[in-house]
Amino acid sequence: MHDETMASGVFFPEVDVAPVRAAETSHRFDFRGNAKDYFRIWIVNVALSVVTLGIYSAWASVRTRRYMYANTVLADSPFEYLAKPLPILRGRLLTGLLFALYVIGGHFSKPLQAGAGLVLAAFMPWMIVKGLMFRARYTGWRGLRFYFVSDFGGAYQWFFVAYILMGIPFMLMIFLTASGHPLVGLLGIFAGVGGVYPWIKGNQQVWMVEHHHFGGKSFRFASKMDVYYRVYWKAIAVGLTWLVPTFILVGLVSKFMLAAQGHQPFNPKAPPIGFILAIYAVMAPMYLGVWTYAHVRMTNLLYNQAHLGQYSFRSSLKYWSMLNLYLGNALGIICSIGLAIPWARIRLARYRAEHLEIIGDGELNDFVRDAFAHGEVGAAGTEMDSLLGIDIGL
Amino acid sequence: MIPGVFFDGRSSHAIRVDVWREGDSLKWRETDREYVVPLLLVEPSARVIGVPFVLRLPDGAHIQLDHDLLPADWFAGSHRLERVVDWLERRWPAALIGIFVVVATLGVLFQFGLPWAADRLAMNMPHAIEVSMGRQSLAVLEGRALLPTTLPLDRRQHLQAVFQHFADSLSGMPPVQLRFYASPMLGANAFALPDGSVVFTDALVRALPDDQAFIAVTAHELGHQAHHHMLRLVLRSSGVVIVGSMLMGDVASIGGLASGIPIFLLDSHYSRTFEEDADSFAFSALESQGIDPAAFVRAIQALERIRPDVGKGDQLRYLSSHPLTAERIARANAASHAFELTHASH
Repeated sequence: MHDETMASGVFFPEVDVAPVRAAETSHRFDFRGNAKDYFRIWIVNVALSVVTLGIYSAWASVRTRRYMYANTVLADSPFEYLAKPLPILRGRLLTGLLFALYVIGGHFSKPLQAGAGLVLAAFMPWMIVKGLMFRARYTGWRGLRFYFVSDFGGAYQWFFVAYILMGIPFMLMIFLTASGHPLVGLLGIFAGVGGVYPWIKGNQQVWMVEHHHFGGKSFRFASKMDVYYRVYWKAIAVGLTWLVPTFILVGLVSKFMLAAQGHQPFNPKAPPIGFILAIYAVMAPMYLGVWTYAHVRMTNLLYNQAHLGQYSFRSSLKYWSMLNLYLGNALGIICSIGLAIPWARIRLARYRAEHLEIIGDGELNDFVRDAFAHGEVGAAGTEMDSLLGIDIGL
Repeated sequence: MIPGVFFDGRSSHAIRVDVWREGDSLKWRETDREYVVPLLLVEPSARVIGVPFVLRLPDGAHIQLDHDLLPADWFAGSHRLERVVDWLERRWPAALIGIFVVVATLGVLFQFGLPWAADRLAMNMPHAIEVSMGRQSLAVLEGRALLPTTLPLDRRQHLQAVFQHFADSLSGMPPVQLRFYASPMLGANAFALPDGSVVFTDALVRALPDDQAFIAVTAHELGHQAHHHMLRLVLRSSGVVIVGSMLMGDVASIGGLASGIPIFLLDSHYSRTFEEDADSFAFSALESQGIDPAAFVRAIQALERIRPDVGKGDQLRYLSSHPLTAERIARANAASHAFELTHASH
């Protein structure tokens, strides 16, 4: 997802490794945006984008993001969104063209589409690096920019090879099930999800944080892999807990829908649209419940384990508050047919900023310009990952 | 003098300054030191509500000013477009008009713009593409939904002859061929594929009362062929997916699930238009061959008898991919009436 809020961003991970001193100062992130102003900015820009058939959308993105960034304030200084519209427009046109070829191509030749999908998957790590570089490069605070080291090797290791590794237990399961040992196969799946996935996610986080720089310092990450195992095992437990009410709801809905269906024979291959919608509606909270759990815990880990120079961070997002927030946002957006989107974004940004602070002995005055090259970064990577909805967990 | 904050671009020190303009120069003062830079070399940021003004100085430094404190005449010529946008963003009436503009534009786009563009594209695509599309669909269906026909050979040969005679009599048809399949999954059904195939299931052939009813269904499917409905529908729904995804990615980031519903509704809407078009084609094709469009009514009624779901009248109009049966019968009857009038006067 293309998160437009700075506080949700990657940019300030850290760890409590710094020696704790009595007089530690804490700088809380502060979000000063309000839904009224943001709504007007958003709707005017959406209208202009639609009227210009998307050409203006690049300028629109820059304006709305500038609002969100500038209203995220740390130590009285706002963040800055520094990207220029034209590269974004270029990236967006390229992305749209590739996507159109992919969608239309699928109707003429499935093998061609599958091939294109594989090529896309092979490019994914590259896009992730480019996306991270773009975000870092065009995020500024007090006149200094963030920087992401372009480590393509590491990206392929953790966002490509690691997933192939993850595929092994699944292949094993298919093989074992086919050879008549479905239970052993199922065990293999649990071993894969519980044993390999947390390790991949943890290493992705380490990789991501340690390649960020700000103000002449690089982010450091002190992490033990066992915390990730705990997060994902608990996420599985949360999922199993959610299963109970969801099953009851699905049962009730099917029964009710079948009763309403009356004399019509129920065709499981082509269920009525209302039935599908109802099933989605009761499944959505479960999905949201599990996703939110993993997201909250992973975000907290991201910040709480990272540090930058003598500063560390503290992220204290709460599961139930976030779930509440997401559910409220989803309901608001659905009931207002989308008009509540600005309000939802503001609420989320405010909550996240309020629960993020930077701790350390200093007034944040000791950052200096990075010695790294500050060349421009193309926007294609970030546009593609926002279209594909790649969630890199920032 | 305006209060601002100066950053040198080399460190994160925030320095409070007072800023003012003197002729063609920008000046600022930090406690006891004064600095000056020509106004021409200063690059101001565009104005956005609630976002501080940033004045970029030539050496990588910048000054931040509170967003409403910058006098309008300092950088009158910069960001002309965004100045207008900012003016709009500050007004509630503009926001309300914005809502209306979004709804109206999307309506026009999906009702007229996208179908028009997709049809233009379809007209310019080589026929080979349609052929490969049709082959692919058949390859997917054959052996799964479509099984070898069980109709007797002489019945098939008879219908082939009727079909060919009728198709040859119509002008401007792409090459077409008739195919029969047994299909428990699809039941009594007929459909057209983009490569010119017209598929009848055995159950439908058995249900049709006479050759004229068969010709009526054929005429409807040939209407799809003559107007290249399949290719046009594919391009239109691809367009909806593409435009929808770009919109969602940009405007909402809600993801696939929410965008699936409007895409489904629009697809049904487009295909309903094509069904009506194919019906009209069928009526005039039947009339041109001296067949009463009442045959069409008999075909639909036969279909209704063996597939009760076809005639179900309680479907929502916008959810249905075919025109409602009652409407189709009414139109066929009107066509039949007109047919009788012209033939009676001969």
